[in-house]
Amino acid sequence: MDENGRDPLMNTGSAGRAALATALEDNLRVIDIPPRPLIIDRIRGEMLQENPCLRRVGQLINADVGLAAALIKTASSSSFGLRARVRSVADALMLLGLDVTSRAVAAISLRRAFPNSGHYLRFWDASARVAALSGWLAQEVKRPGLDAADAYTFGLFRDCGIVILLRRLPGYMQTLARANGDGDRPFTAVERTEHPTDHAVIGALMAVDWWLPDDICQAIRHHHDRAALAPVESELSPVCRRLIAVSQTAEHLLQELRGASHTQEWAKLGEACLPLLGINEEDLRQMHAGATAIIDAVE
Amino acid sequence: MGVAGGTLAARDPTTGFHLRSAGQSVGARLFAVAEQSQASVCALWLDLDRFRQVNDSFGYAEADAVIARVAGCIRSVVGERAAFLRMGSDEFAVLLPAVDTPDAERIAGRLLAIIDQPMPLGGMLFRPSVSIGITWRHAADDPLSLLERADRAMSEAKRQGGNRFVVLAAEPPHTTSGSWAARQDLEIESVLHASLATGDLELHYQPIVRADGSVEAVEALMRCAVGGRQVSPLQLVAVAEKTGLIVRLGEWILLQGARCATRLHEHGCQTKVAINVSRLQLCSPNFLSVLHAALICTGLPADALELELTESLFMDASPVVQANLRGASEAGVGLAIDDFGTGYSSLANLKDLPATKLKFDRAFIRELPGDRRAFAILSAITRLAGELGMVVVAEGVETAAQLAACEAARVDATQGFLHAKPMSEEALLRWMKTAGIR
Repeated sequence: MDENGRDPLMNTGSAGRAALATALEDNLRVIDIPPRPLIIDRIRGEMLQENPCLRRVGQLINADVGLAAALIKTASSSSFGLRARVRSVADALMLLGLDVTSRAVAAISLRRAFPNSGHYLRFWDASARVAALSGWLAQEVKRPGLDAADAYTFGLFRDCGIVILLRRLPGYMQTLARANGDGDRPFTAVERTEHPTDHAVIGALMAVDWWLPDDICQAIRHHHDRAALAPVESELSPVCRRLIAVSQTAEHLLQELRGASHTQEWAKLGEACLPLLGINEEDLRQMHAGATAIIDAVE
Repeated sequence: MGVAGGTLAARDPTTGFHLRSAGQSVGARLFAVAEQSQASVCALWLDLDRFRQVNDSFGYAEADAVIARVAGCIRSVVGERAAFLRMGSDEFAVLLPAVDTPDAERIAGRLLAIIDQPMPLGGMLFRPSVSIGITWRHAADDPLSLLERADRAMSEAKRQGGNRFVVLAAEPPHTTSGSWAARQDLEIESVLHASLATGDLELHYQPIVRADGSVEAVEALMRCAVGGRQVSPLQLVAVAEKTGLIVRLGEWILLQGARCATRLHEHGCQTKVAINVSRLQLCSPNFLSVLHAALICTGLPADALELELTESLFMDASPVVQANLRGASEAGVGLAIDDFGTGYSSLANLKDLPATKLKFDRAFIRELPGDRRAFAILSAITRLAGELGMVVVAEGVETAAQLAACEAARVDATQGFLHAKPMSEEALLRWMKTAGIR
């Protein structure tokens, strides 16, 4: 808790992060960036074939019952934008294609790659809510190049660097508290004044390691960067900027509807996010009912 | 030009652009004009994203309105000195003389922005977007081969999610002999793109061996096959630098290298891993935070990692480069002067560089043991670098006689095929175990 009695882990709309404080005390093995799961390599290997065989990929996924079930659930969720009902891994593969399937598998594997204690479960549940809202919002605003599956994947990976830094850097918890409370400097600038790197760089490195698309890697790197959202000066692609905007907006919606965060991010970035999604504050208010349904579905 | 000139008949009525069938002749005319002033020819291929949806949802009349609007945008951004072609229902090409890479990128950026404006369509607001491929004419190109390449670049833009542009190779060299090399670069670039998307890249490691047989470090080298043939790491890095892929690639290499070092340590091999760093990476204000991220993520002590960079990069006056070098050095990461002796080496500068290691280029070692003068230089500089606290390594050692000469010159360690070729991490561990190295 910080000096105001608030939980520093609530910085980016993730109610469950509070529990991570306790998790730090766990005597779990110090973790590296979790290595890319073999299944992703296998799917990618199949994509390299001249005639990729969906059935073979289906067999690989079905061999892992938990993964298969999670893939069907993910593909069926409204966050992925599929209108058709997904009943099997084969359905998911047909409807999503290999590329999106590999991203969905990465998103599912991400959660499994970290320790699975109660604290971490709550952390990932919170990320899952931001991810689901992001995927849904991407479909609602229909902006060019803004893909629901990418928005969902980005929402899940966006803050994974925090978990790694909490385990690696003594004092990072206090840094998090200060970054949360800073209404002026970018979140990552606060981290950098106290540590040699920040959670956005770590998260982007992990995304590069997991071969996520470049837009997602860049969006993770810059998701607290106000200049990156600016229409003219930004070096990021429009798709990348929209990914950031959609996840910050999703997080803001989550905070408004669940009141579970003390983040200053919307005050710093919100103004730049809405035009990128082609909506205004009123449009956002109109989305409250839909967003509530999405959060309820995740919970 | 009016109807009398016969041009209207060859043009598309919706856009006023030349038809695809006129591509060869229109292109040839533009090539001829460009040749007179020795100007380059840039080709842009534009493809509307999600156009089939428009066709299916709103019908052809509305779709034509979108096409006409986009064509108008293209013409207004590019200007009249270009040749405009409609290559398909939702595809356009522009041939543009005397445009360099920054200009072309500016034009493409402007096109993306202006086309992205909402337009009324069937009672709704529709925002068209395009994918753009950009490339330049090489000496051997005819108009169609140039357009085909621009089309390939556009496909890559589409593959990356659309609503963006992709530049396929920078402006070509102006000589005919450069054309082959440029084509080869294109091939490497496209493989690199594909490999980065699919994770089909690998690092191999070549040991650097001390006189007592222990391993001083291993150098990480990227491995990638193009058309069934291994491309040299040097060539890969050159292409990756030219296309900007080096930044993402460099981050991946840093993490993999740090991971390898951690695993070597876990196996009891207290060996450093050396990683090549390019100018573009070191010019990034983010470089240090990525370096620290790789160390933090793997838990590797900083002194188990070494960065290899050329002498000219050490001498780079850019404040960002110098700050990055200083930061890496202060963190305890080793810094090696790579390929020493190939550039304008200055002994006076050696004392000011924050280097911990000096690597003699293979060109020096090749002359050994026969060339007494080469030996004298090797021997003298080894002594000097030693006095400055640097470890001295000789690269490209291939024969026992060269090794003996290096040892006589008292270099600290040697690297080359005589000891081992670059190999996978697994093979390296086996090699170390077989050789009894710890």
